[in-house]
Amino acid sequence: MNINATLLGQTLAFVIFVAICWKYVWPPIIAIMEEREKRIADGLEAAKKADDSLEEAQLAFDEEMNKAKLEAAEILEKANSRASQIINDATEKAEVEAEKILSSASKTIENDVNKAKEELRQKMSELIIDTSEKILGDEISPEKHQELLKKAAAEL
Amino acid sequence: MASASGEQTSAEYIQHHLTNLVCGKTQDGWTCDHNAVDQMGFWAFHVDSLGWSVFLGLVFVGLFRLGIPKLSTEAPNGIQNFVEMCIEFVNDNVQSIFTSAKNNLIGPMALTVLVWVFLMNLMDLVPVDYLPTLAGQVAEATGMVENSKDAYFKVVPTTDPNITLGMALAVFVLIIFYSIKIKGLKGFLAELTLHPFGKWMMPVNLVLEGVNLIAKPISLGLRLFGNLYAGEMIFILIALMLTFSSISIGLLGVGLHLIWALFHILILALQAFIFMVLTIVYLAMAHETDDH
Repeated sequence: MNINATLLGQTLAFVIFVAICWKYVWPPIIAIMEEREKRIADGLEAAKKADDSLEEAQLAFDEEMNKAKLEAAEILEKANSRASQIINDATEKAEVEAEKILSSASKTIENDVNKAKEELRQKMSELIIDTSEKILGDEISPEKHQELLKKAAAEL
Repeated sequence: MASASGEQTSAEYIQHHLTNLVCGKTQDGWTCDHNAVDQMGFWAFHVDSLGWSVFLGLVFVGLFRLGIPKLSTEAPNGIQNFVEMCIEFVNDNVQSIFTSAKNNLIGPMALTVLVWVFLMNLMDLVPVDYLPTLAGQVAEATGMVENSKDAYFKVVPTTDPNITLGMALAVFVLIIFYSIKIKGLKGFLAELTLHPFGKWMMPVNLVLEGVNLIAKPISLGLRLFGNLYAGEMIFILIALMLTFSSISIGLLGVGLHLIWALFHILILALQAFIFMVLTIVYLAMAHETDDH
């Protein structure tokens, strides 16, 4: 177990290897590791940001969606009421028209009936006078019994 | 060391495994002859320990730098994952100990210590005879030694106190450097002399704090050395069982080797980790400015 110059040799070797490690081994690997750490941290932060903005977008989307739904409901309601109004209007108009037609028809009918009655009366009175003439002979003449005829026509 | 018959005794076997390949300076100049080791003074190098140490250091740098042809932020490949895992582990440790002070040398140094020491310790799991035998055969074949048994080759660098204390020395120099840099020479000297008893007991304080200071690198280096040396020794003793011409002892040896190797994996990693943590702690203490 002699202590000799080997000791100094090893000290020198130690210094040299530590220096090599210090200059060439340690720094590049530490730099790489730090860079990776930074990248991971950045990545995590970006992911968090993306998460936040996704949440925000989701909220905005929900809001828009609700708004759109309300609007749609409103539009639908308006359309419905408008449709029922149109139907009501149309029904009313149709009713009025129908009534009009009905009343004019009944008027026409009444007129026709009246006209027919008049004609009938006329014909009847003529027929009566004719018949009476034939029965009574010349005693009765339309001129003579004008007044009587008129009375009869009014009674019919 | 070979006996006359060419057979080794148990003591010789163990001794052979615990002896380094030494090259050093003698009166006749530089030599790697084992018989001249006694004539070498301080200027001798354990070529095997240093060689493996440097080789494993290069493996570390190669794996952590050249092993990743292209660093990727998005899809790291297998080696990059492993390297990042190591760096993150070291960084977490450094940051948990270095709470207030900042020093960008500590991280790389802790990483180097952890991986390098672990790799050196890992050599302990290579069966103790493989590499020395191979080295002996190569030495004999190339004519460096006459008998392969005369070639010494100790593989695990951390079982050599020169290696562990060498690293501890570097840490010690850094402790003193940063102590002076952060606290100033005056602050450092004050820390050494004014605690724990106040300024009228300066010499006593200096002895206590001096021991405290010196104990750091020595305990750091010797702890690693002691653990690995003991582990290696047990591997050698188990391997010794296989040299007996008894099948039952041999089988027992194989079983023991397996158990010890499994258990040793824990020790290897743990000792590398402890060396790293203590390095960080000592340097963190050197950065502490507030009085305690």
